[in-house]
Amino acid sequence: MAETEMEYRVELFNRLAQTCFNKCVDKRYKESELNMGENSCIDRCVSKYWQVNSMIGQMLSAGGRPPM
Amino acid sequence: MDKNMLAGLEGLPEEDKARMSSMIDHLQLRDRCFNDCVDNFTRKALQKQEETCVMRCAEKFLKHSMRVGLRFAELNSQAATQD
Repeated sequence: MAETEMEYRVELFNRLAQTCFNKCVDKRYKESELNMGENSCIDRCVSKYWQVNSMIGQMLSAGGRPPM
Repeated sequence: MDKNMLAGLEGLPEEDKARMSSMIDHLQLRDRCFNDCVDNFTRKALQKQEETCVMRCAEKFLKHSMRVGLRFAELNSQAATQD
């Protein structure tokens, strides 16, 4: 894998993790385990983030024209 | 980070755990847990509740990152088989 591709992947992973942590995890840290609600939220968040990332990638590679 | 914190994800091969662990932004983890847990600067030493909060925050973030890593890998391999 090219170095910039690898860097992109790592960056994507970290932004994804950060974003979904902000969206899904209670900051009061009452316990160290993730509860069921947080787990579900994380799975869904990752899925949606991924879809958004794909959409934007496609839009940009199509020369900036938004898909209908 | 020691192995204890990574123990939350059983069934994951050791090399995957190691790879994910190296991808996690440790600086971000540290800053997040500091910002979320430490607010009191009347003393130099960390207070007990701050310590507890930081430990929980770090463990939680690591477990969260592992879970994200699993889903990320799944989506990556799905994307590879499409097109």
